[in-house]
Amino acid sequence: MNVRIAVVALILAWSSPMAAQAADPLVVSVWGGNWKDTVDRVVAKPFTARTGIPVEFEVGGTIDRLAKARVAKGNPLVDLTFTTTHVGRLYISDGLYQRLDMAKLPNAREAAREAMRSEHHIGSWAYVYTVVYRPDLVKEDIARWSDLWKPSLKGKIAMPDFDPSHIITIAALMEGGNELTWEKGQERLRQLKPSIVAFFSTDAQSQDLMKTGQAPVQVMLSVNAYHLQEQGVPVKLVQPADYPGVVGIDTMAVMAGTKRADAAHQFIDLALSREIQTQLVESLKAGPVNGGAGVPAKFRGQPGIFVTPAEWKERGYIMNDEARAKTLPAWREWFTANIVKK
Amino acid sequence: MRLLLLPSLGVIAILAVALGALFQYSVLAFVPGSLQTGGFTLANFRSVVSPQYLGSVWDTVVLSLATTALTLVVSYPVAYALARSTSAAVRSALLVLTLAPFFTGAIVRTYAWILVLGNTVVTWPVPMLFTERGVLVGLVHFSMPTMILLLAAAISHVDPALERAAASLGATPARVFRRVTLPLSMPGVVSGSLVVFAWTLSAFPTPELLGGGKVKMIANVVKDLALDSFNWPGAAAFAMVALALTLGLLGGLGRLAAGRVER
Repeated sequence: MNVRIAVVALILAWSSPMAAQAADPLVVSVWGGNWKDTVDRVVAKPFTARTGIPVEFEVGGTIDRLAKARVAKGNPLVDLTFTTTHVGRLYISDGLYQRLDMAKLPNAREAAREAMRSEHHIGSWAYVYTVVYRPDLVKEDIARWSDLWKPSLKGKIAMPDFDPSHIITIAALMEGGNELTWEKGQERLRQLKPSIVAFFSTDAQSQDLMKTGQAPVQVMLSVNAYHLQEQGVPVKLVQPADYPGVVGIDTMAVMAGTKRADAAHQFIDLALSREIQTQLVESLKAGPVNGGAGVPAKFRGQPGIFVTPAEWKERGYIMNDEARAKTLPAWREWFTANIVKK
Repeated sequence: MRLLLLPSLGVIAILAVALGALFQYSVLAFVPGSLQTGGFTLANFRSVVSPQYLGSVWDTVVLSLATTALTLVVSYPVAYALARSTSAAVRSALLVLTLAPFFTGAIVRTYAWILVLGNTVVTWPVPMLFTERGVLVGLVHFSMPTMILLLAAAISHVDPALERAAASLGATPARVFRRVTLPLSMPGVVSGSLVVFAWTLSAFPTPELLGGGKVKMIANVVKDLALDSFNWPGAAAFAMVALALTLGLLGGLGRLAAGRVER
């Protein structure tokens, strides 16, 4: 009799909504490759160990995932999304994110001011787009953005064409403007055209161009440059002396309509903790958003890794997200017509 | 018998619905910085026919024609040897070499071309990588296996007795080829050329990787607009224009080629 009661109790427990919810995985949308592997190892595994909630991943490119999220609006296929801060603005504009409940994110109190991107999305890590080059193939030192305009670098530079906002902003800054008055840098950008040997559409293309030496000077993501260094490719990251690197912040957000909002908040809070941020720095070679994270001495002061509020301010230029999201199509159109085309 | 048409009618219906959705998107206003679209507009089509985008269309047509012509010229001798060689070993070797590229993906082959066309393996007298020349080489290589197989099938249907008869009447080998073999293999030339032209018009990975962002064909522009500028209505309009152009060109070329074959 006791055995029967125990079996019935067990079946009832298994079939209860609470048990079903605990077994439901938290679905996280993130880029593939090293990004997914790192988030899985550094954040998801400890999250599951602490909460018992398994984590599954929806992997894809920035825009593929945005397109999927849009199609599934109201009944999201994922619970939490990692994406770049300005693409996050597109999610927000379409009502795809829910407002973050800051009471459920106690670790956000330690986050840098720059990491608070909006009421809907919060930074997970930071990096810069800066000048990266191969000293074995380029004999002269490159120390500043303006060095890109040296005639000796003709036919050696590559940069992203999917998002030219970094070089457009730097050219505008050099002419006394900024991303809002970007037209000021147009003439300077035209002067750079003969130096550009290729444009890349993906991080993989960028790294291939650097590895093969086809484009030994690039406007490159600092994270990718550190990754190349780990692979033994002799690249040097420049901490530009004239203007700072252009900061990129990847963000986390909870999808509107998810049934796992609490778990998603728990996941974000864990990712913002000092302990996890320290591991993210080690693993991604990206900058922490939690000022209390332990940053190994070898990374301190390196491009894209900011620890103190002063470093965020002095060593990185942060574009206005909203202006960037709105102006990017116009930037791309001008850039394609005037710089990319023959 | 009519029931057999149902699957194809189903496919056509699905395609028509998808095209309808694409058309609907193409006449909605793009709102920068937002995924929401505005009201009805023809502005997307006006943007698409700007010199910048028409330049990409022109480059695509020129590259497609050049690819078709070059592929035909370099594939014909291989196809002829494949169809006419008396040695089974030679035929097998040619067949294996022709089919081998099918077993490696387009991306793998294109990455191999990046190494060859860059100055890492061979030093080229003129820049090849990230130029239209390099893209042309990649497209021709990509198209050759299909062209060879279509040509070889057509050539193998040409009765060798006709070539021998022409030769016995005093025609030189070149004249035999020009007056007998080539005209009789025209169905293969036409079908191979149409296939190569059609898929080169929609080429994406080859110009994307070998063009280094500098060579923009139609598919690359659609991708740029949709995925990089988030301008989905603009991408839809460009895709509609490109589709109309492709159908028009293929229809025209098909009619022209049919006339040649019938003659």
